[in-house]
Amino acid sequence: MKFSYSWLCEHLETDKNAIEIGDALTNIGLELESLSDYSSYSKFVVATIKDFKKHPNADRLNICNVDDGTDTYQVICGANNVKRGLKGIFAKDGMYIPGTQIYLKKGKIRGEISEGMLLSERELNLSDDHEGIIELSEDFKNGTSAVEALKLDDPIFEIGITPNRGDCLSIRGVARDLSAKGMGKLKPLKFEKINKLDFESPISWSIKNDDNSCEYVVSRYFKDVNNTKSPEWLQKKLISIGLRPINALVDITNFITVDLGRPLHVFDADKVGKKLDMRLANSNEKILALDNKDYTLDGNSTVIADSNNALAIAGIIGGDYSGCTEDTKNVFLEVAIFNPNSVAKTGRSLGINSDARYRFERGLDKNMVFEGLEYASYLINKICGGSVSKSIDAGKLDTKEHKIKYDFKYFNKIIGLDLEPQTQVKILNDLKFQINERIDNVCDVLVPSWRNDVKNDIDIVEEIIRIYGYDNIKVSIPFSSGDEINNIENSLVNKKFKTISKLKKTLISNGISEVITFSFHSNRAQEILTSDASLKISNAISDDQSFMRNSMIFNHLESAELNIKKGIKNIQLFEIGPIYNSSQSQENILSLLISSQDNTNSIYKSVNFNFYSLTELLSKLIISLNFDIKQFNISRSTSNIYHPGQSAKVHMGKKIIARYGKVHPLIMEEFPKLKNTYAIELFFENLPIESISRVNSINISDSQFQFSEKDFSFIFEKEQNLYEVQRYVTGIDKNLIKNVEFFDLYESKDLGDSSKSVTFRVTIQSKEKTLEEKDLEHLHKNILEKVSNKFKAKIRT
Amino acid sequence: MDIKKVLNEATKEIEHSSNQLDLQNVKVAYLGKKGKITELLKSLKDLSLDEKKSLGAELNQLRSEVDYLIKSKFNKIKVEEINSKLKNESLDITFPPPNSIFPKVHPISKTFDEVISIFGSMGYSVAEGPDIETDYFNFSALNIPENHPAREMQDTFYIEDKDKDGKPFVLRTHTSPVQIRTLLKEKPPVKIIAPGRTYRCDSDSTHSPMFHQVEGLFINKNANMGDLKGTLIEFCKQFFNVQNLKVRFRPSYFPFTEPSAEMDIAYEVVNNKIKLGQGDRWLEILGCGMVNPIVLENCNVDTKNFQGFAFGMGLDRITMLKYGLTDIRSFFSGNLNWIANNGFSIGDF
Repeated sequence: MKFSYSWLCEHLETDKNAIEIGDALTNIGLELESLSDYSSYSKFVVATIKDFKKHPNADRLNICNVDDGTDTYQVICGANNVKRGLKGIFAKDGMYIPGTQIYLKKGKIRGEISEGMLLSERELNLSDDHEGIIELSEDFKNGTSAVEALKLDDPIFEIGITPNRGDCLSIRGVARDLSAKGMGKLKPLKFEKINKLDFESPISWSIKNDDNSCEYVVSRYFKDVNNTKSPEWLQKKLISIGLRPINALVDITNFITVDLGRPLHVFDADKVGKKLDMRLANSNEKILALDNKDYTLDGNSTVIADSNNALAIAGIIGGDYSGCTEDTKNVFLEVAIFNPNSVAKTGRSLGINSDARYRFERGLDKNMVFEGLEYASYLINKICGGSVSKSIDAGKLDTKEHKIKYDFKYFNKIIGLDLEPQTQVKILNDLKFQINERIDNVCDVLVPSWRNDVKNDIDIVEEIIRIYGYDNIKVSIPFSSGDEINNIENSLVNKKFKTISKLKKTLISNGISEVITFSFHSNRAQEILTSDASLKISNAISDDQSFMRNSMIFNHLESAELNIKKGIKNIQLFEIGPIYNSSQSQENILSLLISSQDNTNSIYKSVNFNFYSLTELLSKLIISLNFDIKQFNISRSTSNIYHPGQSAKVHMGKKIIARYGKVHPLIMEEFPKLKNTYAIELFFENLPIESISRVNSINISDSQFQFSEKDFSFIFEKEQNLYEVQRYVTGIDKNLIKNVEFFDLYESKDLGDSSKSVTFRVTIQSKEKTLEEKDLEHLHKNILEKVSNKFKAKIRT
Repeated sequence: MDIKKVLNEATKEIEHSSNQLDLQNVKVAYLGKKGKITELLKSLKDLSLDEKKSLGAELNQLRSEVDYLIKSKFNKIKVEEINSKLKNESLDITFPPPNSIFPKVHPISKTFDEVISIFGSMGYSVAEGPDIETDYFNFSALNIPENHPAREMQDTFYIEDKDKDGKPFVLRTHTSPVQIRTLLKEKPPVKIIAPGRTYRCDSDSTHSPMFHQVEGLFINKNANMGDLKGTLIEFCKQFFNVQNLKVRFRPSYFPFTEPSAEMDIAYEVVNNKIKLGQGDRWLEILGCGMVNPIVLENCNVDTKNFQGFAFGMGLDRITMLKYGLTDIRSFFSGNLNWIANNGFSIGDF
């Protein structure tokens, strides 16, 4: 909300300056967002261009002879409005120019001395206008300060009002809160009630019994008014806070909305019927509003209507047809109380943000109804003339005071500060809360009518500390207890974050960079990867962010494409973050993408990345978490993200641990710039991480006796899972077989389509002795027999 | 027989041997089974005891001397041979390596780590909740009823799918629903932080539709606003690494805390850069307050015996402030150059 210092002072008698008021506003929760204070501009003064001539070395510059009332100066000026006798604002050598953030320095411009500067509005930060230098009326005497000449002596405050503080959506409300903080005294409202109300209103009210949102409405009829332009004082006030004056009637309602926080509405009485209703709208009822837009209402919205039409949307906006223009002769003023909830609902569903809605939905001071009525009547009558009817109303105003039971010790417990009851009472009284029925530390607190937000005793605590000052709360030093440290040790989520850190370290050491991408999928990704359609975002900002992602791979392909365009050849990136399987299921996974372009470096030949490099990388990642990929089951992946022949799924029972492989060529068609692209998805949350911080699940035997190695070649069925073979061979003699390493795979026509030849090396070592030849031969034979029997494998010789 | 002569001959031949084969031949000629010195030693058996003694000693001396010379020469030849081989193995050591991207962790990761560790040292464990939330957890349970103006403080993304109350799921607009989820699951005392992704439909250089927050919640018998201030001041001192930190707490409004506050940190601009800690300008850092008893009651917490505080801050924002980054959109662009410039290498993580 915006207001000027002088306007505030019409409600607040104060000796504080604008800066002190600004600080106080922030301290009581009415955050000062900006304060335009031009007092430092008094150093700039009015001066006249007595004479000027063209600069000899620059076409666009003039050499001006400037008089500031005490002296004359030579000023080089590039403005196009330079003329003899022009009065402008002058800055001298050494002065700080706020708009350009430069200290002015006397010096030569193209060889001619310049001793100062004539300023534009932009150079004074007053506007963006830099068309020319400021031109003032000839009436100003040279040497007059800029503050006086430009009327900058009225600072403008802009404050942020939190949604609970509807009572401060008016200058009076702000003044009232400041007075409680000791920043001055609230002045009584200064307007006269109209004595002569000598006729009955020809228009009357009824509130339909249909659950509409109107609690009470009161009106007056103004006859024979002259709706001219507003007087200058009113126009100036509205302009000072950025409102555009329209005509007296509209300006008066806008003024009272801001001044008292009391929205009201004026109808052109000749354009409405004689009986007005507050009622629910018919469904699909239409109205053209004052903002020149057509609205279609539903049956939940309250309207003001005559027998023919809806005339206004209650508490939100008036109708265009019944609005007041300069031709309006008779006026019907409406001051009402509407239910905040209904106003909010209607306003939101229609998407109308009006000053009235803003105040109604935050709750009005019900006692302000009559002050609003009287103040508006006074101003309409004074400015537009004519005569005023008696009041006509409908409904019943519920002004019951809200009472809260309050214990003064509660404050101390919540805030951690011993504040005497008498200090608390003083603050509450300053805020116009009344204390009743006090027995020892407990009392009843009566809440003033404008504080709809104060409902419970905790709200009373807040009021007291708000005024007492948050700065006065004593700081205590935080500590942690043994129980808490123990909780952290045992927390599964903490363990998960440790796991994530370990993974990140391994990934970075393997040359892979971390990215964070949006949790969204584009329409394009959705079409290709077809995630759950119920994960569509109803109000997405763009097509690029219209679904929740069920994998990160598409985002990473897009990142890779972006980086290729930037000239990066080898993309290696990862992200650890959420993917969404449905609205109620999300999991954090690691997703990494490697896309390597052709390596043309003949010296630094790196091996081309392939499926097996990926298997090795995944194995390293799993090892960094103290697991071994060989512990899990491996089978072909059926995911449509991957190349069906070059992808695998690592799982433990039904739980998936990882999915990896070459990205499916159909997906890659969308990314023609990317070549040789592989991905890993590690579902690390499915690992039994609760055990990993203590138990090392890998156990490697260590012996001092001589070891022996023997290579075996078998012809297996093509789909034979070699991890199974490896596990089986290792298990043939757990005491002697230390290691089984596969190192050759051979598929060819001679073997037939359904076979493959595989070679592995078995390392044999005893923990007790150096093995003799016959022991070894026995074991070799055993391996040959068992493997060929178990897997129907042929021994290859 | 002239032992000296034999020694001279052998020495000469050893010196003239230029490779291992020649030298081996010399060795056979003198020390082999039929070698000259071996033959001489054999002939000793025909001599008298005295002669055997004197001549035997001399011959053994001769043999070990020749043996030594041969071994020395062997070593010399080997070193020469290796040295000449190494000459041919010389590489151009000035051939530069290929340019590679510097692998780094994202600055947000570093912030996550620090936040978890600083609050961990104050006794906070980590908790979490889902990004796709119900209307109830994101709003109503936090005392933000439908149609309340506070709902418009946050622009909410909605999901097509509806929850069991028939309301569309929302993308959580803050991490505060984790307060509710944790309190429903665990009995006080509760001391948790919950870092994670949050969403609002807003996009410009300071707003991203996705961003990160950390929530804090401490409920016990007597946690008060002084403890809240102390906790947050200590956090900021450690996180921003500023010991002499000027802060300001000012009243604000969040439906789920009462009293509510916002915390500002003082700063000044030095050489066009923001310097945190001192100065007469203020930067908003976080929102906080005492948990509203209405919220505790929604979670079945006995408000006669338990109270506490909560806080929430933007992790992207404090990251930007700490490292002087300006455009939040670049955080999530996947631009590896940006990561290389602004991320952290493994030693700094």
